[in-house]
Amino acid sequence: MKHFTKLAIAAALGTVMGTATVAQELYTPNLAYRTGPFAATGIPLMNGQADYMTLLNERDGGIGGAKIDFEECETGYSTEKGVECYEKTKGKAIVTQPWSTGITLQVLPKTNVDQIPILAPGYGFSPMADGKVFQWAFNVPSGYWDAADMIVQYLEQDGSLEGKKIAFLHLDHPYGKEPLPLLEKLAGEKGFELLPIPVGLKEMQNQSAQWLQIRRERPDNVVMWGWGAMNAGAITEAVKTKYPMENFIGVWWAGHDADLKLVGDDGKGYKSISWSFPNQDAPVMKELKERVFDAGLSQSNAEEMQGVFYGRGVVMSMILSEAIQGAQKNFGTTEIDASQLRWGLENLNITEERLEELGMAGMVPPFSTSCANHTGHSGGWMLEWDGSKFVKASDLLKPNTDSYADLIASAASEYATANAPWAMNEECSATN
Amino acid sequence: MLYRTAGQFKTSYIADQALFPVKQDAFLLGIILALAWIVFPLTASEFTFQTLLIPILIYALAAMGLNILTGFAGQLSLGTGAFMGVGAYACYKMVTLMPWMNPIVAILLSGVFSAGIGVVFGIPSLRIKGFYLAIATLAAQFFLVWLFEKWAWLYNYNASGAIQVPNLEMFGVFVSGPQAASVTEYYIVLFVVTLLTLLCINLTRGNLGRTWKATRDMDIAAELIGINLMKSKLTAFAVSSYVVGVAGALYVFMWKGAAEPNVFDIPLSFQVLFIAIIGGLGSIMGNYLGAILIVGLPVVLNVVAGTQVFEISTPSAILLVALIAAATFLFWVARSLWGVGAAIGFGAVTLIYGYAQLQGFRIDSALIEHINVMIVGGLIIFFLIIEPHGLNQLWRLIREKLIIWPFPH
Repeated sequence: MKHFTKLAIAAALGTVMGTATVAQELYTPNLAYRTGPFAATGIPLMNGQADYMTLLNERDGGIGGAKIDFEECETGYSTEKGVECYEKTKGKAIVTQPWSTGITLQVLPKTNVDQIPILAPGYGFSPMADGKVFQWAFNVPSGYWDAADMIVQYLEQDGSLEGKKIAFLHLDHPYGKEPLPLLEKLAGEKGFELLPIPVGLKEMQNQSAQWLQIRRERPDNVVMWGWGAMNAGAITEAVKTKYPMENFIGVWWAGHDADLKLVGDDGKGYKSISWSFPNQDAPVMKELKERVFDAGLSQSNAEEMQGVFYGRGVVMSMILSEAIQGAQKNFGTTEIDASQLRWGLENLNITEERLEELGMAGMVPPFSTSCANHTGHSGGWMLEWDGSKFVKASDLLKPNTDSYADLIASAASEYATANAPWAMNEECSATN
Repeated sequence: MLYRTAGQFKTSYIADQALFPVKQDAFLLGIILALAWIVFPLTASEFTFQTLLIPILIYALAAMGLNILTGFAGQLSLGTGAFMGVGAYACYKMVTLMPWMNPIVAILLSGVFSAGIGVVFGIPSLRIKGFYLAIATLAAQFFLVWLFEKWAWLYNYNASGAIQVPNLEMFGVFVSGPQAASVTEYYIVLFVVTLLTLLCINLTRGNLGRTWKATRDMDIAAELIGINLMKSKLTAFAVSSYVVGVAGALYVFMWKGAAEPNVFDIPLSFQVLFIAIIGGLGSIMGNYLGAILIVGLPVVLNVVAGTQVFEISTPSAILLVALIAAATFLFWVARSLWGVGAAIGFGAVTLIYGYAQLQGFRIDSALIEHINVMIVGGLIIFFLIIEPHGLNQLWRLIREKLIIWPFPH
């Protein structure tokens, strides 16, 4: 009997304390994938994101005095689970971080109805850059079309692309097909031959057919839009077929340290465009190590924390926290709601000085957003594998956004017509 | 005592051949229908609609389609996912080419396309059987998914290769697409599923159903008593693919809202096959039980793991206790000690988990997911061990025991 009284008291206390803490919290759930076929790439990203939020909670007591509840909902990268998580969290969430192109596509049409901003940093649907059409979606700091443009720019540094042949090795999936419209347009303008080589989801780990084709066609460069097991498969296959690594460039998701460690020195020269860089000398990395990792609050490990993907996770959480802070200042309230956060994301201004203040100089290029520009088009660096880690191989590259603004606008309006009635931001007068 | 059939006399052939000759069965079904048509829509939250009610109904319908082919006509098929895809793409093309079309009509018509494709891929069944036929349907699976990827006309040349459901209106109300309310979608799904279930029950009870069962049990004997095997097998393929196709259209239009080709790949076929097998081959009700176990249970477990057990509201606590008590009682009636143990064990584990939560115990969502997969897998094995013929057979046994309860055999 005594035992039961204790239990009841504990339960009652739990309720009281539970409600007490809820009062000062910002609920920013993350649809994580630490299980399933893409877990190897997901875990470092999720750890980076979670650790930065833990750091803010530990060091500053949250953002503007409100703790961040960075709860994870496990999706295993499956769309069905993703939608389940979205439905579960949308009641009190101020942001949705869908984490896969499939889940993003599914959630995107619901944003206008549910009015919760989607934060898809550097992934998802490229036309989301058009903030007038996609009022609630953000893919900061750069999108896939920016990446494709920057890769072509980088290749052009070695001379004209006229008459060259570029193979485009991509996952046969919405994500992999994403940059195709832009690459086709660039191929027409610059006069290079584009050779799309799709890799089916079932062939990710066995790409011998695709690499046989590459050997036969002898392209000057291979550009890869790969994810998960596909990257490791392509890189080991490239080493096996002795494809010159310096001509092989991946998108930012194809620059995972663990994939390259498999081949080590043989992978030297492989490049990946990236709009984040794991600057080990940045003060924030030291703080993360001291206050989060050494305090036992992290699920990460020392090796992983040096990787590109962990650093990327940190940058993504920084973007979210900056948006929250901006919204708090503008609306003069600690507990912001979803539409206030939308304002925050729309008015991000991450300058060089701000990055310095945050202790993140060199980890992400400075960028800003507006009501018309939901991507920021920060630009990025070409990273190169030196045999043991990724190093910067170029200065900051900036995408020529103007040259494909029409493409963004037409794709966005096409989406809006297909999903009519679709509410747009008519008040916005800025341009992309 | 609860299920006494004594005194229910049948005085005409019509009464004897009624859908529910036993009064209690009809009564039970009435309760379930009232729950589904009135109580759930009034009480369910958005989350319940989107993760439990709608998907369970759609998966149950898909499994029912497969069950007609595999359970009733004995033709093993591994192409269910692709046939669902045919229904979905057909519906997508119809509503985008002919926007004036009534969405429910489009959904019901899309099954016609999958029925046609199903018959074409069913032709090999006239010559091959069993595992060999499974391989032939597997070919359909791979071919059709490949077609969904490569034939850009099917997805209206969309750059991402996915189909996206537009906002569809019916009498001024959005019934599909992002603007539609969950409850509207639920009622449409429920209407279609109820309609097709009624159709399937009566088909399998009638002449056609008997032909299928004869074909399943021994095709040579069936042929000898004058059954046209070609007609029997191809009608099974047609009806089955029709139901599966409609389920596919519902799957995309009333639930997911968008789909890329690989959604319809082999894992979907297997999932539907598992539902049909665990529910019980050759049954209609089993499909619903199987879908509840395979689609609903993981969601429920996830929710349970994420809530504070001792902080749930009183009605849900009563519901939980009542469910455990009912399961215990039914297993006890069926003389299945393992079942009684499992039901009580589930309750005990929940209490222990709640106590651990009070002591500050937390598990992260990735671990919950791992444990969830283990529990669901364990339950599938458990149910197949205590009743290899599926949940439907388990219910039939319980029902038979209930009729004579409290007297044992």
